[in-house]
Amino acid sequence: MKTLIIISHPEVDQSSSQQFLIQSISDTMRTNVTVHILEKTYPDGKIDSAYEQALLKKHDRILFQFPFYWYSSPPLLKKWQDEVLTEHFAFGYRGDKLAGKELGLVLSIGIAEKEYQTGGQEGYSISELTKPYQALARKTKMSFIRPLSIFQFAYQSEQEKRRLLVRYQQYVTLKRPDSLKTREKWMIEELKTTAIDTLKMDNAEFIINQTIDQIEDNRMELDELRMHIDNFHD
Amino acid sequence: MDEQEWVVTELDRLFHASQDYKQKALMQAAAEIIREQEIRKEQLQGELDGTLWSPGNWSN
Repeated sequence: MKTLIIISHPEVDQSSSQQFLIQSISDTMRTNVTVHILEKTYPDGKIDSAYEQALLKKHDRILFQFPFYWYSSPPLLKKWQDEVLTEHFAFGYRGDKLAGKELGLVLSIGIAEKEYQTGGQEGYSISELTKPYQALARKTKMSFIRPLSIFQFAYQSEQEKRRLLVRYQQYVTLKRPDSLKTREKWMIEELKTTAIDTLKMDNAEFIINQTIDQIEDNRMELDELRMHIDNFHD
Repeated sequence: MDEQEWVVTELDRLFHASQDYKQKALMQAAAEIIREQEIRKEQLQGELDGTLWSPGNWSN
């Protein structure tokens, strides 16, 4: 699966959350992940729509990544939508070039999560406020995947930031990134390829192998329990 | 200490020993996924127990 991350941010170099996310993508992931920063590619704001359309065609999952300003994106991403997602390409007669792809959002949000609900300061949920993107996916026959919403990055603890790093890596690369089984498989692959030399411990490799065994054993037990429950209901 | 606890404790040591930020995040996530599996096991065990003890099935 190839993922295109379209980033829009007026000052991406100054944004600690955007820099954190960009740095989270490891070298091995980069073969299947394209990071595309609109403000860097088009400092004059003039978008090459033929190039953008070709880029879209080459990828399976399209992510819009931006700070959630006034319940929407920064202006260059809106301009991109207007100029790139044209009739006969994205919709209308023969406009099926995006059909079957996935659309996701990576939102950095300055206000706490609890405010995005009825009775909260913002009053509406992220699901409600992102309706235009959901409608865009629907019209272009893409499937809309659950957004990755990052609330108040600046206030997150180091532990939360590390958790975000892994969640983001999974969100960018995995089919069904929420499933435990999928994440177990991902974890095992990552552990198999992690560099032993940066783990400054003598028995590091042994611990890594024991961890993989433990995750696999747990999975077997989980599948067995599930089988017993299913058998009982048959 | 059972094997699972041992693995989680050792992962914490690897977390502290690692000199790479992304690798630290991976070690933390490995320990967290093992704990998550443990919770899922308890939930499924609870579901199984509940199913076995359901009075609706006593006549079978």
